[in-house]
Amino acid sequence: MAQDTLQQTYDAIVVGSGATGGWAAKRLSEAGLKVALVEAGRAVTPREFTEHMPSYKLKYRNHSPEMLRTRPIQKQCYACMEYNYEWFVDDLENPYSTPPDRPFTWQRLRILGGRSLVWGRQSYRLSDVDFKAASRDGYDVDWPFSYADLAPYYDIVERYVGISGAAEKNEMLPDGQFLPPMKMSCGEVRLRESVKNKFGRTLTIGRAAILTQPHNGRAACHYCGPCERGCFTFSYFSSPFTTVKDALKTGNCTLMTDAIVSHVDMDTGSNQARGVTFVHRVTKETKQVRGKAVILCAQALESTRILLNSSTRDYSKGLANSSGLLGHYLMDHVVGGGASGTFGDFNILPTANPPHRPNGIYLVRFRNTPATGKHPHFIRGYGFQGGSSPEFNMDAPGIGTDYKKAVKLGTYDVSLGAFGESLANFDNFCEIDANLKDAWGIPALRISMAHGKNEAALMRDAGVTAAEMLEAAGAKNIRLNTGVEMPGMAIHEVGTARMGNDPKKSVLNAFCQSHDVNNLLVTDGSGFVSSACQNPTLTMMAITVRACDHLLERFRRNEV
Amino acid sequence: MKIPGNEATPSDPGLRSPSPLINRRDLIRAALFAAAASALGPAFSFAQAVSSDLTPAARGEDGSKFLTNPNWKAAFLNDQQNESLIALSDVIIPATDTPGAKDALVNRYIDLLLSVQPPEFQREFVDALAFIDSESQKQFGKDFRALALDDQIWLLTPWAYPRERSHWTERNERQNEAPESSYQHFERLKALIAAAYYGSEIGLKELGWDGEIAHGAYEGCEHSTTTHT
Repeated sequence: MAQDTLQQTYDAIVVGSGATGGWAAKRLSEAGLKVALVEAGRAVTPREFTEHMPSYKLKYRNHSPEMLRTRPIQKQCYACMEYNYEWFVDDLENPYSTPPDRPFTWQRLRILGGRSLVWGRQSYRLSDVDFKAASRDGYDVDWPFSYADLAPYYDIVERYVGISGAAEKNEMLPDGQFLPPMKMSCGEVRLRESVKNKFGRTLTIGRAAILTQPHNGRAACHYCGPCERGCFTFSYFSSPFTTVKDALKTGNCTLMTDAIVSHVDMDTGSNQARGVTFVHRVTKETKQVRGKAVILCAQALESTRILLNSSTRDYSKGLANSSGLLGHYLMDHVVGGGASGTFGDFNILPTANPPHRPNGIYLVRFRNTPATGKHPHFIRGYGFQGGSSPEFNMDAPGIGTDYKKAVKLGTYDVSLGAFGESLANFDNFCEIDANLKDAWGIPALRISMAHGKNEAALMRDAGVTAAEMLEAAGAKNIRLNTGVEMPGMAIHEVGTARMGNDPKKSVLNAFCQSHDVNNLLVTDGSGFVSSACQNPTLTMMAITVRACDHLLERFRRNEV
Repeated sequence: MKIPGNEATPSDPGLRSPSPLINRRDLIRAALFAAAASALGPAFSFAQAVSSDLTPAARGEDGSKFLTNPNWKAAFLNDQQNESLIALSDVIIPATDTPGAKDALVNRYIDLLLSVQPPEFQREFVDALAFIDSESQKQFGKDFRALALDDQIWLLTPWAYPRERSHWTERNERQNEAPESSYQHFERLKALIAAAYYGSEIGLKELGWDGEIAHGAYEGCEHSTTTHT
């Protein structure tokens, strides 16, 4: 195999260019460090965005046989469509295994910007109820820092990204630096008032990384609808057109695309990471990049895979794994519980035309809070996402003229779907599958995860409380779901290299730095100690900036 | 639509249009492309995206063109099945003051879809189509497509509504009730025809789609809060 070492030694190598990698590249290169940003996928251009292409122009209208053949797992993701499936990994080239009775859906992209191109854009802070959850209910351990430590970094990220939302003064969901909130529909206003008056719960407009006014050189949302197909005005946050662009503008950042990192290279004598080895996606050539610090931002499972594939004589169970915990405590929010119904009394017809609001509503966690006390059947809690709007009714009865009329008359739908906390559990883990390699010869993962009794209880409760709230708001035709979807479905994988103060009980310290190898950092979702129930990307970005600032301080003190 | 902060957007597109041929939509597009180009970083180039890495949609291909190809041939259905499907779709979604399923060529899209679906899906569809003809034969001695429109409607309508339970016996049992499978056959066909129709350009226009990509910001509920409580 051809081995080739690139000449330059960088100050920092950032692996992955998504939400966290983009931030790491921006933060470090703007501070003057020479950065190599290494991305496994190709570059992306606005020319391939398809958000304004009507769906009838898709030959198979989302049933493309090529998509079904090459993305049998990826198509389980709502955002993987005939429009954009090439952004998602080819499942045939990127295999992983699971035990037969523990299925896991791993939905991911390999392209500049990664999942930030198609993410749901919901952006919520965690609170001390989350960071110190163990102290309250006795399960597992607290995070190694508190809300006050992270709050300034939430501020930095929110001010740059642009989060539209409304302040609610709810202790479970700290307010942030918000752009003006998007508006609610009539049905959502009714539900908000009803849950406030009858249940004392907070329903707010989704806090979304979508601009409602011009911000940092990007235009406000034009409400065409399908953000996950790209945005010509870059009105939702995606890293290629924000953080990565800023990093490249400094002249200090070198972008390497199509570079699939197989492992971290170690200098055994000094116990320091000296760079990474990658395989070129197209030519399959192997190359090495040298750096004074290595920052993995490849996504929790992928970063962990790189570390597990970086074993040395000193680290035989995977690099930075003296604790034996690397790969363990994999979490993904439990989803499935919720309810839907219709409001019969709004005389508002559905429309096929914009504005299409690319955002929903959020109902703040109300179980096991300091205010509501301990629930008898489960610990932790869930938040609801959903919405209410008039929709065309293709399921209308009848045929002929009557049917055509009934479709257009539509129904005014309302729905709530829960995202519940996934408890950290040692038995939910990933490891290297000794018999499986990807198309580049890199050993693949075996992922073993199942939601447990607490998660099932959360979804059971969520179905019931959602139905109760819809009924109290006057909804009819209520349908309730108390099911538990397959892990991975929330696409909120975190854990696998948990942070902590004790090197025996954690992989990373409070600044995402490996306890074992101090110039190696993992700043994506890997370090999460608990999953909370809020969408994790905002927190991952804040953690990344905090970790980068700490690394810069160490550079200033010549410790790296 | 205005895009504040973007110099390429005239303050009033309607008035400043340099040519009457350039409409508002073109100006919006031009402004959007200008915004896109200005956001590109130094290391980006359009050439970096290899076209083989793009979906047909991302390459800008209009995949619906096969529908109107004068040399169109069915990929899955035989002639009889195709004719039955056209007749059925025309009764379920007829042309009214707007075009119907036949005009929207739903048979051609469904044929393409069937050609790439698993055998079980194909078999269920073919069985459902055959069921309609067998019921038609039973009642009229002819295939469905040969019936008069009134007879076609007479045959289909009972399957098109949810069933009420019997009020006459305590056990809600009825004599001579059509088997469950007859409803399933019909519902399968209707659902696919409706999806193919409302997924077509004609169907989108039936729903009022105007082809614009933007109509300003989402304004939401403009009533006072108490209106809805």
